[in-house]
Amino acid sequence: MIKLIVFEFQKHFLKPSIIVAVLLFSILSIAKIHSIQNANSLFSSSNTTPTWKGLYWNLYEEFGGPITNEKIEKLMAIYRPLENQTADRTASSDHNPDSYTGGNIYMDRNFFMWNYVNPMKYAYDYKIYANQVVSAAESNMDFFESIGNTYEYKKNAVIKERFQERSITIFSYKEMYHYYVQYDFSAFLVLLICLYSLMHVFISEKETDMEMLLLTTKSGNNKTVFAKLIASAVFVYMLCSWFWIVDFVAFSLLFGSFESASTPLYALEDFVNSSINVSLSQYALLSGLIKTFGIFVFSLLFLLVSCFFKNALVAFIVSLSFMISLIFMNEVYMGSGRTLLKIINPFVLVVNRELFRKMEFVDLFGYPMIHYMAAILLAVAWGLLLTLGITVFVKKNGLSKGAKRHAIMDL
Amino acid sequence: MKVMFSNISKQYKGKYALKDFSAKLENGVCGILGANGAGKTTLINIFVGILKSDNGHVYINDKDTKSMGKHFLSHIGYLPQYPQFYKNFEVIDFLRYMCVLKDIPKKQGEKRAKELLEVVNLSDACNKKIGALSGGMRQRVGIVQAMLNDPNILILDEPTAGLDPQERIRFRNLIAQFSENRIVLLATHIVSDIEYIANQVLLLKEGRLMKQGSPQVLIDGLKEKVWMVTATNEKMVETLQQYKISNMMRDHGKIHIRVIHEEKPDAHAVNVQANLEDVFLYYF
Repeated sequence: MIKLIVFEFQKHFLKPSIIVAVLLFSILSIAKIHSIQNANSLFSSSNTTPTWKGLYWNLYEEFGGPITNEKIEKLMAIYRPLENQTADRTASSDHNPDSYTGGNIYMDRNFFMWNYVNPMKYAYDYKIYANQVVSAAESNMDFFESIGNTYEYKKNAVIKERFQERSITIFSYKEMYHYYVQYDFSAFLVLLICLYSLMHVFISEKETDMEMLLLTTKSGNNKTVFAKLIASAVFVYMLCSWFWIVDFVAFSLLFGSFESASTPLYALEDFVNSSINVSLSQYALLSGLIKTFGIFVFSLLFLLVSCFFKNALVAFIVSLSFMISLIFMNEVYMGSGRTLLKIINPFVLVVNRELFRKMEFVDLFGYPMIHYMAAILLAVAWGLLLTLGITVFVKKNGLSKGAKRHAIMDL
Repeated sequence: MKVMFSNISKQYKGKYALKDFSAKLENGVCGILGANGAGKTTLINIFVGILKSDNGHVYINDKDTKSMGKHFLSHIGYLPQYPQFYKNFEVIDFLRYMCVLKDIPKKQGEKRAKELLEVVNLSDACNKKIGALSGGMRQRVGIVQAMLNDPNILILDEPTAGLDPQERIRFRNLIAQFSENRIVLLATHIVSDIEYIANQVLLLKEGRLMKQGSPQVLIDGLKEKVWMVTATNEKMVETLQQYKISNMMRDHGKIHIRVIHEEKPDAHAVNVQANLEDVFLYYF
């Protein structure tokens, strides 16, 4: 079986066109990350002066790491005078080479506010916020218990459990992660490469008239179908791993830091109500795995669609239409409260930050299931259904159709 | 090795692609001769198990192939019609792949592939991409893959279609070479493919077996039925309308017409030796 998988992989995926596409799209992805950094980073040359970056990392040695009262006092001792001087906006905006940033007092205030004060305040206050959520959940639990609403009771119990003992004790540089978790462009590129590469997995047997020959060999039937599916899975996982690694390395290098790996995910303001308690590096890994799984479900869809056609171009267009429809559906329901319509779409796994940003629940026979779990389960169900569809269709119609076609030609 | 087809029928949308086909085959080359659409490919597809017949059975050494399961596949080597194979595979890689599909152990497969490539004179091309091979070379790769498992029954569906005369002759010789101690089932509509190498011929027409026998027996059946008529232009038209014509040749202002007919078509007609092409024309 392993030999068969290796041959299937070689046959369908070790093609110069695919390798070139992967390389070109990797460059494209890096270029896109560069443009994101250039347009958004507080340290990019298009937004601020080069002194910001140097100043940030100098001060980071002092203020980075565990948040202590001394650090806060020291930071506020710098920031408060700046804030007071600029409060009524009457301070001079003339260039002052002696200022922290080498610009003027307003720039100094912004520098400290955006890079240190606000992030440190968010981190410092988070524990209080989490405790408030826990208290609210507890009072909700009491209430729902008193009126006998067990579903809402359980829901609040989960919220309580997730928010209990949450705090951010470390101050770290998170700008890179802030943009990294929002980056979906490479996933779209991966989907396009999968679409192009997977179209030929079953169609090539029809195009080369090998489908008949395969059926006359001992391993040419079910075994070959499974070998193709496994080879496709290996390809998708390798392709995704490559792009996720390229993304992570490009983000880290372009933003100039590998910091914050152990900082909790909820340290990002976008994830204030995150449903999972993981670190940023764990989230990067988890998100990559879930994205990969989502793309694999899409790949199975592409493979199933390709089983119905003899012409790769038609199959490509139909699959692309499905893909765009699912992306569109995801966009439509993303911000809505229609949780089921959101999570039934496997594309939600590809842009999975929506699943982890907040606590949403799905009623599973009276049990409140956090929606990321439900989305994963639904995607597993899709994957199984699509795999079943492929094996049944390829065996029953796809291959025997070839013989039928030849027989009809006999008439 | 014996193969027996017993009352095989297959129909599509009420029309028979094959009807009550019965035949016995023994070692040697067996040519299935029929016009396009006669049911040759349907018969082969049913035999190799990729198409189910509506009725009937196929027996190998008196054993029903349906009861043999996958073991049946180790008996056969198959070369389908117009195979393209995988263009980005090297010849040797393609053969290795076929060995894996046929469950042939690696070392044994490697040895067999090299021997067969030697036989078909493709040793030098073993590292060439299949996409870079000529049609004839590709067909030779095709017969090598069919022979990898040393089958008792070699099935070739229109193997010479699209080949130039030189490649066709080369391929014919290979078939004869491979027919030792096995049945070679060769479906074709090209008479010359089987005329000199077939031990027996099955004539198939509209899904029915018209005639079965050795080429000589079939030719002998046309004794006193093939005539050479020498005619003028005016008489030629009349002859063409009245009789089955297997050949016509102009020579020094005269026209020599080869006529197939039960009776002497003309007082000056000369009886000539029949060939397999005449047989084909007589029955179709």
